[in-house]
Amino acid sequence: MTRYKRQDPEMSRRRFINMAMGTTAAVGGVSLLSVLGAANPVFRLTRDKMPPLKGDILVHASNNKEGQPILLSELNEQLVRAWPMGKNENGENVIRKGDPNNLVALYRFPRGQIIQPTNLEVTIDGEVVAYSDICTHAGCTVADSDTRAGAMKCPCHSGEYDPKRAAIVVGGPPPRKLAQLPIAQQGQNIVVTGFFLTNPYGYSTEEEWESFTKEVEEQLA
Amino acid sequence: MNQWLDERLHISRLNDKFLRKAFPVHHSFFLGEITLFSLIILILTGILLALSYEPSNSLVVNSFDPGTTDAPNLIPAAYHSALKINAQPFGDMLRRIHHWTANIMVAASVLHMMRIYFTGAFKKPREINWWIGMLLLIFTALTAVTGYVLPYDNYAYNTLQVIYGIAGSIPWVGEWVAQAAFAGKFPGDGIIPRVYGYHIMLLPGILLALTGAHMLLMIKQKHTQPQYAKRVAYKKIVGVPLMGQQTPIMLLLTFAFAGIIVLFSAFIPVHPVEYFGPPSTTPINNIKPDWYLLWVFGVLAIIPSFEFHLLGGVIGSEFMGAIVVPTLAILAMFAVPMLDRSKENLYYAENPTNYPVRLGAGVAFMALLVVWSVAGYKPELISAGILTTANANTVLWIASFLVPALSYFAVQAIVRGIRSLRESDARDRANFQAADD
Repeated sequence: MTRYKRQDPEMSRRRFINMAMGTTAAVGGVSLLSVLGAANPVFRLTRDKMPPLKGDILVHASNNKEGQPILLSELNEQLVRAWPMGKNENGENVIRKGDPNNLVALYRFPRGQIIQPTNLEVTIDGEVVAYSDICTHAGCTVADSDTRAGAMKCPCHSGEYDPKRAAIVVGGPPPRKLAQLPIAQQGQNIVVTGFFLTNPYGYSTEEEWESFTKEVEEQLA
Repeated sequence: MNQWLDERLHISRLNDKFLRKAFPVHHSFFLGEITLFSLIILILTGILLALSYEPSNSLVVNSFDPGTTDAPNLIPAAYHSALKINAQPFGDMLRRIHHWTANIMVAASVLHMMRIYFTGAFKKPREINWWIGMLLLIFTALTAVTGYVLPYDNYAYNTLQVIYGIAGSIPWVGEWVAQAAFAGKFPGDGIIPRVYGYHIMLLPGILLALTGAHMLLMIKQKHTQPQYAKRVAYKKIVGVPLMGQQTPIMLLLTFAFAGIIVLFSAFIPVHPVEYFGPPSTTPINNIKPDWYLLWVFGVLAIIPSFEFHLLGGVIGSEFMGAIVVPTLAILAMFAVPMLDRSKENLYYAENPTNYPVRLGAGVAFMALLVVWSVAGYKPELISAGILTTANANTVLWIASFLVPALSYFAVQAIVRGIRSLRESDARDRANFQAADD
C-alpha cells in the first residue's frame, strides 16, 4: 500500500488567481482605511479654544454686546451668557469662543437662595454663580425655563437643571449636572479663578477632563 | 431610424425585456413612482442650488448689512450664500421646492413601504428588495438631515451640534467617529465642506445606486399582482405596458405632482433662514427636527437621565435614545421578511384583513412612532398645561405601551367585524342561490 500524492510542478491556476485576488483585496482594503485616517484633521489647541482659565474676565456673549465686560449690576435671575476673555501669546485680549462649549451661564439670586451642593466659596458672595451653559446631553445651549422663573431648560430635548442647587439635573435626559465655574469679583469685573469644578460637556469622565486641563496647563507653562 | 438604432442597440430586445413591462393598474402602486419622481426633482433643483451655494463656514462680510469698518457684520459664507440665493429671482422658490420635495419623498416612501407591508409584497421572492428599500429609507433620511445643515443658519447650527453630540455619544469610539465624520472638533473649519460633500456627492450617489438596484430587481421579479388579476387571468401577468400606456400616466402624474409641489412652495414658506439668523449663542426655543425624525426626538425627551461606565466607555441616555432605540426599530423593520416562512413565491397582493396579526402589528408599530412623535412635543404639552413637568414622562411612557397595545386589539376587533360581515354576505348569497334553484 503506497500512498502516492501527485506533486504539481507548478502552482495551479486557480490557486494563483485566488492568492492574487486575496493580496490585492488586502492591499486595497488597507489603503482605503488610510483614507479614513485623513478624514479626521489634527486638532490644535489654540488660545481661543482653551477652556475658561484662571484670570479670564467674563464678557457678554450676546450678539449686540459681545466682548463688553459683564458688570455685577447687570445680573439677575435671568440667565446672562458670557464668554471667557483672556490673553493670547502677544498679550492681546482674545475671546475664547473658538470652542462653543466655553459658553458660561451667569445668574444672580438673592443671598441664601443658592444652596448646597453648589460650591458657595467660588461664587461671588453666595449671590452670583457661573455654570457651563452647554447641556451635558447633546451639547445644546441651555436657556431659562419658559415655565418656571429661576430654572434652566435646554430647548433641544427639554433637559432641566436647577441653577440654585449646583445645576443638578431635575428633569429630562441629561446624564450629569452642568459644571460650576469658580469666579470672583475683581473691581468691576467678574474673573475666573480656575477650571470648571467638574467635567463639562464633551468630557464624559472626570479623568478625561483632568487630563485635558493638565494638557492646557502644560501648553501655557 | 428605428432599424438603424435596432441594428446597433438591439432596441427590439430592450423593448421585449423592459419597455413592455406590465404595470399593475391600481393607484397604490403609484407611491413608489412618486418617490422616484421626488428624487429626480430633488436632483434637478439640487444642481441649480449647488450652482449658487458656497460650501464654506469661514466668515465673510454680510453684503446685505455690512456693519461698519470697525465692527464689520461677519457671517458664515454658507449662510451668506443662502441669503443671496433667497435674493435671486426664483431663488427662494427653488429652495422651497427642494425642501418640500424632500419632505414628500420621505412621506411617499413611508406610504410606499406601508403598502408593501400590509399587502405582504415583501414576501418571497421580494425580500432583497424590501431590504434595499429599507436602506433607501435610511439614506433618504440621512440626505435630508445633511440638507438642513447646509444653509448654516442658527437652526442648522443647533441641529448639527445635536448630530455631532449623538455621534460622539457612542461608547469608546464616539469622539473619534464624530470628529472623523464632521472634520474635527465641533464646529471645525471644514465642517460645511464636509457635510456638503456628503449631501451632494456621497449620499445622492448611494441613493441613485440603490434606486437602480431597486428598479432592476422590480423589473426582474415583476410587480405583485393586484387581487383583480386573479379573477381576470389566473397566474398571468395583468397590467398596462410601460411604453404606450404606463408612460403617459407616469408623465401626467409627474407634471401634476410637480405642479402641486410648485403650488405648495409658492404659498407655504419653508425654513426661513433670515428668521433663524446666523449661528449664535442664543438657542432656538422649541427647536424640532422634521416630522420623520420627531419620534427619535420624542424618545430623547422622555428617556430618563442615566449614565453608566463600562470598561472605560460611557453609555448614556443620549446613546440609548438616539442610537440604540432607533437601531432596534430599524432592525425590526429589516426583520419583517424573515418572519414569513412561506416557501411559495407570492404572486398576488394579499388582503390585509386576511392577515390580522401582521396588520395589527404594523398598526401598533406606527402607533408607537406616533406616541413618540407626540412626546417630541413634551415642552409644548407642559406649557399648554395638558401635562406637568412631574407627570409628563410617566404619562408618555404609559402611553408608549398602552396605545400600541390598544390599537393592536382594536385592529383585531375591526378585522373580526369585517370578516363576520363578509361571511354573512356569503351566507345571504348562498341562500339566494338556493332559493332560486
